[in-house]
Amino acid sequence: MNKLMISCLIALLLVPALYGQELMGEDIVQKVNDLFNVESGYAKAKMTIVTTSGQKRTFIYDSWSKNKGEKNLVRYLEPRRVKGQATLMLNNADDIWMYFPRTQRVRKLASHAKKQKMQGSDFSYEDMGSGDAFINDFSPKRLKDEKMEGYDCYKLELTRKPDSDVSYSRLIMWVIKENFVPVVIDYYDEDDPTLQEKRLVESDIRVIDDIPTAMKVVMYNKNDNTQTELELLEVKYNITLEDSMFTERGLKK
Amino acid sequence: MREKILKKLANWHTSYPWRMALVVLLLTVIFAAFTRRLSITMRTSDLLPERNPKVIQFNKIIDEFTTATNLIVVVQGEEKRIKEFADKLAPQILETRDTSRNDSLQRQIDKLQKKIDRLKAKEKESKIAELQPEIKTLQSQMNFKLFQRVDYKVDVDFLRNHMLMLIKEDDLKNMKDVFMDPNLIGLLTNLNNSMEKEYVGREESISTREKEDGAVSFLEGIQNLVLNLQKATGDGDISDEEIEIAVDKLLFGEPYALSYDKKALILNAIPNFTLMDRNFIMSSTVAVQAVVDNLLKDFPDVEAGLCGAIPKEHDEQIYALRSFGYTTVIAFIAILLLLMISFRMWVAPVFAVINLMFGVLWALGSAAVVVGQLNMITSMLAVIVLGLGIDFSIHLISGFTERRAAGDTIAVAMESTFLKSGKGIVTGAMTTACAFYALVVSSSRAMKEMGLVTGTGLVAILLATMLCLPVMLVWRERLRDRRRERRKGVERFVERDISFRFLGRAGEWLSKNYAFSIVASIVLSALLIWSASRIRWDYDYRNMEPDVPSIWLLDTIMEKFDLSMDYALVLADDVSESYDLSEKYRELGSVAITEDISVFVPSEEQQKKRIPHIKEVLEKIQSARVKQAVLPGELSVLRDEIGRLEMNIMEMQDMAFIGGQDKVDNKCKEIVGDPENPNSKNIIQDLLQMLYSNVSASARGFSNFQRNFGPYFKESVIRMSSTESIQLEELPVTILDRYSNRTRDQFLITVYPAGSIYDGEFLNKFAADVERVSEKATGMPPLFVALLKIFGRDGRNAIILTLVVVFFLLWVDFKKPGHALMAMIPLALGVFWMVGLMNLTGIQLSMMTVMGLPLIIGIGIDDGVHILHRWRSEGKGKIQIVFSSTGKAIFLTSLTTMFAFGSLMFSAFPGWGMFGGSLFLGVAACFLTTVIILPGILGIIEK
Repeated sequence: MNKLMISCLIALLLVPALYGQELMGEDIVQKVNDLFNVESGYAKAKMTIVTTSGQKRTFIYDSWSKNKGEKNLVRYLEPRRVKGQATLMLNNADDIWMYFPRTQRVRKLASHAKKQKMQGSDFSYEDMGSGDAFINDFSPKRLKDEKMEGYDCYKLELTRKPDSDVSYSRLIMWVIKENFVPVVIDYYDEDDPTLQEKRLVESDIRVIDDIPTAMKVVMYNKNDNTQTELELLEVKYNITLEDSMFTERGLKK
Repeated sequence: MREKILKKLANWHTSYPWRMALVVLLLTVIFAAFTRRLSITMRTSDLLPERNPKVIQFNKIIDEFTTATNLIVVVQGEEKRIKEFADKLAPQILETRDTSRNDSLQRQIDKLQKKIDRLKAKEKESKIAELQPEIKTLQSQMNFKLFQRVDYKVDVDFLRNHMLMLIKEDDLKNMKDVFMDPNLIGLLTNLNNSMEKEYVGREESISTREKEDGAVSFLEGIQNLVLNLQKATGDGDISDEEIEIAVDKLLFGEPYALSYDKKALILNAIPNFTLMDRNFIMSSTVAVQAVVDNLLKDFPDVEAGLCGAIPKEHDEQIYALRSFGYTTVIAFIAILLLLMISFRMWVAPVFAVINLMFGVLWALGSAAVVVGQLNMITSMLAVIVLGLGIDFSIHLISGFTERRAAGDTIAVAMESTFLKSGKGIVTGAMTTACAFYALVVSSSRAMKEMGLVTGTGLVAILLATMLCLPVMLVWRERLRDRRRERRKGVERFVERDISFRFLGRAGEWLSKNYAFSIVASIVLSALLIWSASRIRWDYDYRNMEPDVPSIWLLDTIMEKFDLSMDYALVLADDVSESYDLSEKYRELGSVAITEDISVFVPSEEQQKKRIPHIKEVLEKIQSARVKQAVLPGELSVLRDEIGRLEMNIMEMQDMAFIGGQDKVDNKCKEIVGDPENPNSKNIIQDLLQMLYSNVSASARGFSNFQRNFGPYFKESVIRMSSTESIQLEELPVTILDRYSNRTRDQFLITVYPAGSIYDGEFLNKFAADVERVSEKATGMPPLFVALLKIFGRDGRNAIILTLVVVFFLLWVDFKKPGHALMAMIPLALGVFWMVGLMNLTGIQLSMMTVMGLPLIIGIGIDDGVHILHRWRSEGKGKIQIVFSSTGKAIFLTSLTTMFAFGSLMFSAFPGWGMFGGSLFLGVAACFLTTVIILPGILGIIEK
């Protein structure tokens, strides 16, 4: 009897101690950030957008990233009409350049363009937490854990920091406990924190080069009532990429 | 008490048939007089509660803004021809006048004039002064000018003076270079610089609908310039007017309201009346249609049709009246035939139908008294009361002929019929009427009026049956008696067994095999409830409208102009509120574009910010020297700039393709060709070819062009660079009238949806978005969403309330709550079966079909009640008799009701057809549940 009471007491004393060892919001966001910002990588992707006249249009492209996503290069493969067209994003998509094979000219798009829609899709350059946006622009708060898309998840609320100019007032993120993949992210309006603008859903999670990777990402735009699907066809991580690739000359190649 | 009245009534009929006929005639004259006052409205807003804020706002807009009431002419054909057609049509529309009321107006004026003459003799000046304005008002109505304006071309006069002040500061910064050099080479250089800065500088600039439209308009200006340069360098023969048009298009865009493919054009005629003036709605549509038809004779290659609020209201009125007439006739004929076949006689059915005619007239008259106006839903009143009212005649005729066949005298037979069948008829009618009256507690006018009109209509038709039909029966029997007397009693009643024995046998079998009956009922109910759970709402109100140009041309506008004519409307109290709201709306993804006055009156602050840029343009253009020629030495620079222009447009095209901006991509294709089609035309390449192939002719052509282009361009830019502040009062009346009311203290914002509002998900999103920005938002989409919500809520409440009312009435009638509940079981399941069958037959829930649900409770309860009454009076072991006799009666009454509702399926209004179809299924479902389920339940009780 005494043994049992002691066991219960130990258990009771241990609960807060164990709880203290639980991950804080900051820790989880850091892990998500690490996952998103791999040192370097390559992906072949398929993206489907809806045009202004309601037609579906699918693009296939190669993309390379370096310096934890600070530098990005996207080169279109399909459809034939845009083959060779390429986009270079530097400084975490703050500076964007574009190459047009038809005129063989390289143009710089305006800086501070990361709030803009990415090539007619429902993604903006900043949606994917370019750079350390999740850490630098938001204050995380851990909410009660929830099951989402069939996974046991940490639920986080990321509130925009007062000095940040990020486009969303807050994010709600469900992060898979097992691998720290944010399986769902809800984005809320810049001015109205109660108004949900978008929802990102990640699925088909596979481990590639020891990194859990969502092979399918869908962004639902609640504002425009549209959605964009992004499917990764091939992924490689931590590959060697020359800096010259991420230059105007590299863009033209 | 009830017995006494019925007995007395029966006696009056047999003792004083002529006096009773006189009473019927008198009542008919009174009701007919009331019926003349009855009008029809097909407006959606008339279905909502009057105090609904959206309805109040909508009516205010309709009242104060004539622009909210429009008539659109959609013209289709080749660009040149449709422009010519529009130029000829617009003045003719403006000349249309309403002369249809001239005679009656003149009579009223003459009357008043005579009155004035009499007053003059009595020297009553003050009364004369009161009458004179009345005469003036009447005179103004004669030869009434129907339209105040026809919008189909941009009023460039205002833009000529203030264009730069109307351009947003950001855009002005990017575009101002374009206006600084009046010479061709300078202009092309500036255009290229601006294009690179504009679309490359900020990708968002062509990412929204308004920006996309701006880009298309800008490209059109360039396209037109290139085509004119081609013409100038080709044969060198280009008129001053053509050059001026090219400059205007470059500076102000396309003036005509053309579609993206330039094959359709819209003329928007703004009336001098509002949607409330029914007479003008009808006459203006007819007048404009005549003008259009007449003009089309000279333009066989052009197509034109009318749509917009006025023609839609006109078409709905015409089709409603037409459908109202012929669906009623179809119902009459179908019922007559059915009765003739089932009763195997023709006189009594003819009496029943004549009685119905009186009843329908009385019902319409009573509707005129209780509501005054029939709406989109209550317009089906005639058919509804017809379907229900025929039951009373069937019961009365059956009872009377039975008694007569049994040898009773006319007086005894009538009294007996009134006491036996009359009681049942009155109880049944009052139960159904009370169920309908329960709808009065609904918040929507549609459901409230439906309850009032059908309840009162049913009472009217009951009254007609109790007063009119017996008179005819008495006359007929007296005639037959006389004939019989003449033939010395040779003629005898022929008693026919017209009961349905198969129903009796089936009822008995089911009651004995009650387990089968119950299991079959449960299985069928489960299947149909599952089907009912899958039913969807139909959000496309056009599915309820007749197939007329005013409806299907909306699709043409949507397709050609990418613009829905079903927009939201918002009232602002001042220009700054209009600006703020408009800005907020433009930020919404569900909004395509907005139209409001703030575009023409920027705020003081905005105007101040724009002035330095305008001054810079003015300084540059004033100091610019207009060259008289393009020198041969300058040709290479010109070629380079044209080549640069081609590259800029190609890049813009590639960006647009990746960005999914199809309109920009398509416009670029018209200029630099389709990259996927090597044979497509590239007009810039064609121009370059001309430049390379014939240098001297090109130089000459460019010089000719430059000579006229330069001065006109310079003069135009100087004129539009006015830095004078724009004030509201200085705006042209055409602009003021379009966006503000007569007292200029209310401003209208039109918010066009970015998607199809006929898609339920988008409709709800758009309505929620526009309401979130301003609670004052109204117009078709918010009204329709509000209507569906209120209908859904009202429908649910009405069903519960009518069930409760029916239960209590049955409790009083049966005096046993258990029997009341038993009578309601087939009804409750019948409602689920009805919805399940609707889903199976492809009828969706809509604001029309949802009305049928509470109605079916009032209608469908009769079947169970009659069977239970008969079962109670027959006693145990008589189920076969109950179902062969009363079963036949409910079968017949169900069939007649189904025929009446089924007739609506022939209506030109698909909405009415769906309503009729759903009630057809509902009545059938209630009959089936009664004859399948009740025998099982009765079998269990008997056991």
